[in-house]
Amino acid sequence: MGSAGRQRIFAAILLGALAFCGAKRASAGQPEFARMSDARQATRLSGQAAGKDAAGKTVIDETGRRVTVPADVKRIVTLSPDQTETIYALGLGEQLAGDTDDCDMPPAAKEKPHVGGEINPSLEAILGLHPDLVLATVSINRRETVDALRHLGIAVYTSDPHTVRGTLEAIARVAEVAGAGTRGTDLVARLQARLDALHVMLADSPLVHVLFVVQEDPLISIGQNTFIADALRWAGGESVILTDQNWPRLGLEEVVRLQPDYILLAGAHLKAEGVGETDFRSRSGWKDLRAVERGHVAVISEGVDRPSPALIDAIEEIAHVLHPEAFKDKSENGKVKTENGLRLHATVPMPEELSPCAR
Amino acid sequence: MRPLTPRRIIAICGLLCAVLFGVIVIALRMGAYPISLPDIVMTLFRGAIGRKDEIPSEFWLVIFGLRLPRIALGILVGAALSVAGTGFQALLRNPLADPYVLGVSSGAALGAIISLTFAPHLLGVIQLAAFIGAAATIAVVYFLGRRGGQLDSATLLLAGIVAASFLSAIIMFLLTTLSGRDLRGMAFWLMGDLAAPPPTEHVFIWFESLFIVFLISAGAIYTTASDLNLILTGEQEARHLGVNVNRVKLVVYVAASVLTGLAVSVSGAIGYVGLLVPHAMRMLFGTDYRLLIPTSAIGGAIVIVLADTLARTVVAPTELPVGAMTALAGAPVFIYLMRRRVR
Repeated sequence: MGSAGRQRIFAAILLGALAFCGAKRASAGQPEFARMSDARQATRLSGQAAGKDAAGKTVIDETGRRVTVPADVKRIVTLSPDQTETIYALGLGEQLAGDTDDCDMPPAAKEKPHVGGEINPSLEAILGLHPDLVLATVSINRRETVDALRHLGIAVYTSDPHTVRGTLEAIARVAEVAGAGTRGTDLVARLQARLDALHVMLADSPLVHVLFVVQEDPLISIGQNTFIADALRWAGGESVILTDQNWPRLGLEEVVRLQPDYILLAGAHLKAEGVGETDFRSRSGWKDLRAVERGHVAVISEGVDRPSPALIDAIEEIAHVLHPEAFKDKSENGKVKTENGLRLHATVPMPEELSPCAR
Repeated sequence: MRPLTPRRIIAICGLLCAVLFGVIVIALRMGAYPISLPDIVMTLFRGAIGRKDEIPSEFWLVIFGLRLPRIALGILVGAALSVAGTGFQALLRNPLADPYVLGVSSGAALGAIISLTFAPHLLGVIQLAAFIGAAATIAVVYFLGRRGGQLDSATLLLAGIVAASFLSAIIMFLLTTLSGRDLRGMAFWLMGDLAAPPPTEHVFIWFESLFIVFLISAGAIYTTASDLNLILTGEQEARHLGVNVNRVKLVVYVAASVLTGLAVSVSGAIGYVGLLVPHAMRMLFGTDYRLLIPTSAIGGAIVIVLADTLARTVVAPTELPVGAMTALAGAPVFIYLMRRRVR
């Protein structure tokens, strides 16, 4: 007996009432199952087969949850823009069955079926896409969503990168889970090589003290434990906010006290709206900041907000903004500089944080 | 007004149940996953006769895993909040009284937030913490609301409002110092959210225990219905007629608070329902508590199930918090009823 029996009773009561209202329709119900589209049937069957084969693999995700996915992942649903970008960067765009309203990169991601917003997706819509694998990110999605999906028996793999290196590792792991391990290793190696090159170029450049603005009103910046703070370090900068809180809310007074060398904002929409130096010059409070007076305000692509392969693009972009001199050198005498750098690179011991993961 | 006979109570409740049933059918039918009505009937039928394996697994998940639990939760929460609101309004003889105003919802929310901050990984802790938060708030407000050994309606209401804003301030403080992820989850929860399925494998046992708590508390309030009718005419008069006013107040206050803690612990802080539904029912069916309590329960269930169905369909596939929907859809209906009555 137990809950199954009660379940039946509950269903029976509802059914009785339903039947009372639509007795005619009930009789038409039988063939409806058969009318289920072939594609859906096939997916269902393949899903069942994978379960029985034990061909699936079990991995532990970055939140410590055990996830079992079929050996051959065919349908992926991503719940965060960074995972969507990662999937495309791995060349798995074909396997992406759906993503969220917030997934806008690459443009093809916008054409995929959406399951709702990243914070409040529809569980039914996700279920309706018949995914073998759902990808989520701790810093973006809600725990409740992940728990609910797991409760429904859907494989959810969650990433939780807090550093640039962690992001690369997360990409490699996602690639592994999605059955594209080799492509993942290649991708991560390429990204790491770009980071190494950047490291070499910036070797002589002084650290720039940066105020990174996540949100302007209310003013929200980044804590030291976020991957954005780490991205700034790779780009030759340092966040002026020293806190363990991930997304600290600041007063303008604090910014005045800290007097950052540079103010960075992220987002394509800001670029489109023309937010930037001139705009900040007319804002009361802001306009008297030294950084604003010197025109040290820049809007960069929103890739920096996302722990995906685009993060490396954003790091390079920030490096160009913060250290234009380092890159001027390169364009004049690139070859020599790089070789110099490589030699330099070999002799200077890399800090733990900077040691590449894909070697 | 016609005299209130048991027959009339049953007739009106039956009518409301029919409406509730209609709303349940709509709620079962609507959703991001397309299932036709015959398929729903077949799924229910096969589930009822225990032939689960003949149902396509996704139909089973959508109907039994997502929609039915959500409907059941909506019924429970709506009924609990409405009965609690009815109780508080009778108790305080103040039309503004509801779990939200009295600080009980805020207390429960604070309990939940504290548990999320310090023990986010433990199952079911949120429910327990919300319940403790509600109970503690009740105790404090009840203590503050006494004047000269008597429960004073105005003082109690004031104490509730002060407690509510004090607790909200603490909640804001905690939310500002929490990390981003928790903040977003909690923001949803504070608006009221039915989206997450019950956090346990034993869904039906879980629902059963919730419904039993609901029935006991609502039943306790119902036993005082006749006394509440007398108190409505004035406490002194009720005393003269032999009503133990303090005992009635205690029963109603505790039971209504238990109902609030129950609702908040499973769905977050859904506002408006406890205020709106009892008034609407009063306007429709009169002020007799013997009729008002059951109609409020069913009416609350109707409102929440309907609001939740709208919440998950109007901007589908994205879902709105149900609390936003109750306020958005409820306020105009309420104003209409109020205006009609004035005329």
